Amino acid sequence: MIQLESLTKQYGPTTVVDGVTLAIASGSITVIVGTSGSGKSTLLRMINRLIEPSGGRVLIDGHDTSATPVHLLRRKIGYAIQGHGLFPHRTVGENIATVPRLLGWSAARIQARVDELLRIFQLEPAEFAAKFPHQLSGGQQQRVGVARALAAEPAVLLMDEPFGALDPIIRGKAQQDLLDIQRRFGTTVVLVTHDMDEAFHLGDHVAVMSQGRLLQYDPPALLLTRPADPFVSRLTGTADRSLKLLSLTTAGEAAEPGVGEGPSVPAAASLREVLSDLVWSGATAATVMRSDGTPAGRLTLAGILARGRAG
Amino acid sequence: MTPTPPPLHRIDRLGALLGTASIAAVAWLPFVTFKANRIASGTARSLFEVLPFGTALAVAGIVVVVAAAAIGVASPRSRLAAAIVGIAVVALALAAAAADLTPPGNRLVRVSPGVGCWVLLLVQALLATDALARLRPGPGLRVLCLALTGAVLYAAFALGLFDQLSIMREYAVNAGTFAREARQHVLLATGSLGAAVLVGLPLGVLCHKVPRLRAATLQVLNLIQTIPSIALFGILMVPLGALATAAPWARELGVSGIGAAPAVIALFLYALLPVVANATVGLGRVSPAAVDAARGMGLTGRQVLTQIELPLALPVIVTGIRIVLVQNIGLVTVAALIGGGGFGTFVFQGVGQTAIDLVLLGAIPTVVLAFSSAVVLDALVDVMSRAPQ
Ligand SMILES: Nc1ncnc2c1ncn2[C@@H]1O[C@H](COP(=O)(O)OP(=O)(O)OP(=O)(O)O)[C@@H](O)[C@H]1O
Ligand SMILES: [Mg+2]
Repeated sequence: MIQLESLTKQYGPTTVVDGVTLAIASGSITVIVGTSGSGKSTLLRMINRLIEPSGGRVLIDGHDTSATPVHLLRRKIGYAIQGHGLFPHRTVGENIATVPRLLGWSAARIQARVDELLRIFQLEPAEFAAKFPHQLSGGQQQRVGVARALAAEPAVLLMDEPFGALDPIIRGKAQQDLLDIQRRFGTTVVLVTHDMDEAFHLGDHVAVMSQGRLLQYDPPALLLTRPADPFVSRLTGTADRSLKLLSLTTAGEAAEPGVGEGPSVPAAASLREVLSDLVWSGATAATVMRSDGTPAGRLTLAGILARGRAG
Repeated sequence: MTPTPPPLHRIDRLGALLGTASIAAVAWLPFVTFKANRIASGTARSLFEVLPFGTALAVAGIVVVVAAAAIGVASPRSRLAAAIVGIAVVALALAAAAADLTPPGNRLVRVSPGVGCWVLLLVQALLATDALARLRPGPGLRVLCLALTGAVLYAAFALGLFDQLSIMREYAVNAGTFAREARQHVLLATGSLGAAVLVGLPLGVLCHKVPRLRAATLQVLNLIQTIPSIALFGILMVPLGALATAAPWARELGVSGIGAAPAVIALFLYALLPVVANATVGLGRVSPAAVDAARGMGLTGRQVLTQIELPLALPVIVTGIRIVLVQNIGLVTVAALIGGGGFGTFVFQGVGQTAIDLVLLGAIPTVVLAFSSAVVLDALVDVMSRAPQ
C-alpha cells in the first residue's frame, strides 16, 4: 500500500504538484496520465524522493518514506525510465546486477537472479549477459532497463514512460511482459504514460493529472462512465468511448448462461472484438469458448450493446 | 559520391612533394657540416664529397627509389618499408661520413648533419608517419612501434654508431649532467602534472556540480594561460623570493625565487585549465538518463560520481592530461632560464656559447620525450574510448 498525503511540490512561486492525496493498493497497477507539464513525473519522482516534496508525505506500507535515508529507500523501489538509462560502460549482466550488488548479495545469488530475469525477458543469458547496451536493439535495451529495475525483487516499481520510445508492436509485447511479471511477482506498479490506450490496457486504476492537481483516480471504466471533470472526458476522448468501455471487459466476464448459436469467440477476447466479429459475420449472438475448448456461455448483440452504455 | 579511381596509377600529392624534396636535397644540399674544432666556422660538404663514390652513389640511388615509392606506390605497407629503409640508409651514411672525416684519435674535429641530411631525415620520417597513419594501427600496435623505434635507436647509440657526430661529442662531455637534467626534466613535467590532476580533478567535479562556479573558474584559468611563461616565472620570483627570505622553513624546503619552485608552480598553473576544462566537459557529456537511473536505483552521490560519471568521462579527462603532459614537457625547457634545470639547461648554454650542437642536445630529447608521451597517451585514450559510449 502506497499512500500519498497532500503531496505538494513548489518551485519558487509555481506549484507543480498541488496537494495530491491517493492510496495505491498493493499488487495493483496505477497509471498516471495527463498533458505534458501536468506534474506526472514530479509526482512519481517524489515517491522515491528523487524530488523532495515541499509538503505532504508518502507512506509505503504505513512507513513514512522521509524516515529512511534516501539511498536505502531507493534500493527497495524499482525505477525504470524512458530511454532506459542503462550504463553504457557496463555489460547487460552488470547493469542488471546494480542494485543486488549495492545490497551486498552473494555473487552466486546475483548470477542466478540475472539469468532468471534475462530468461523472463526472453534474452538468452549466454548470448546477452556479456553484451554492452549499445549492442542491443531499442526493444532489448528497454527490456534490460525493466529487468534491472526488478533485480532486487522490489515490492514497488516506478516507471516513467518506460515504453515511450518503442514502436507499436514491440510496445504491445512490452506491455504484455509487464502484466505477466506484475502478476508473477505481485509488484505494485506506478506508471506514467502519455498513451491513453496503454493506460486503459494496463491500469487497474488511472490517475488523471492536470496543472499539478489530481482530477480523478478511478478504475478505467469509471473514467469513461463517470468523468469527474470535462478535462477527463476530453483526455479519454468521447468519440469512441463506448468501444473503449467494451474493450475493458472480456467475453468470459460478460458471458450469459446458455448455449449460443453463431460464431464462437475465445473467453479472453474483449467485448469490442466480439462486437466487431458479430458486425462482420452478420450474426446476432456468439458462443464463448474457454481456452480448453469447453463452452462458457453465450453473448447476444443486445447484451453487448447494453454494456457499452454509461450507467 | 563519385567512385574513387583505382589508386595504382594516381600520383600521390604529398608523396610527390616530399619525394621531390628528398631528391633535391641529396643532389644539391650539403650532407654534412665540417669544422676543424668546436668554434671554427663550418664548411658544407655534399654526399659525394664525404663518402667514396660507389657508396655515395648507392645512398643517392636508394634515396631516389624511396622518393619514387612515395610518388607512385599506393600500398601503405610498401611506402612504410621504403621510408624506414631510407631513414636507416641516411643515418648510416651520416655515421660513415662522420667516421671518414674524423682522423683517428682526433677529438677536436666536429662533424654535424648538414641541411640536406636534416631534410632527408625529416622528409622520410614524414613519409613513414604518413604511411603508418594510413595503416590505421590500433593503440597497442602504435605503442609497440614506438617501443621498437626506441629500442633500435638505443641500440644504435649504445653501439657507438654515431659517436663521431658533433652532438654525441657534446653528449660525451655532458654525460653526467645529461642524466641528471633528464631526470629533472621528467620530474618537473610529471610533478606539476600530478599536482594539477590532484587539484584540477576535484575542481572540475565542483564546476560540474555548481554551474555558477564554472564560468568564473574557467575564466581565471584562461587568463593564467595567456600569461607568457617567462613573465609568469618572473611574477612568481618576487613572492617566492620574499617567502624564502622571510620563512626559514620555506628555504629548508628548497623554496626560493629561482630554481624548481617557481617552475613547478608556473607549470601547475598552466596545467590547471586543460585538466579542469576537460573534466567539466567530460562530466557534462555523461548521459543524464544514466545518472538519473543511477540515483533512482539508490547509488549514493559518491557512488554515482565514482562508478558512473567519472568512468564515463575518463577518455575526455585523459585527453586533458595528454595535452598537459606534452605542453609541460615543452614548457619545462623554459624553466632552465630561472635555474629550474631540465634539458633547457643545454639549450640556453648552447645559445650562450653559440654552440648549435649543445642546443640540439637539449632540444632533440625534449621533442622525443613529448612525442613519445603523446603517442602513449593517445593510445590510452583510444583504448578507453573503445569501451562503448
Ligand atoms: N527543477 C525544476 N524547476 C522548475 N520547474 C520545474 C522543475 N522541474 C519541473 N518543473 C516544471 O514542473 C512542471 C511539471 O513537470 P513534470 O516533469 O512533472 O511534467 P510531466 O507531467 O512529467 O510532463 P511530461 O509529460 O512532458 O513528461 C513543468 O511545468 C516543469 O516545467
Ligand atoms: Mg514526465
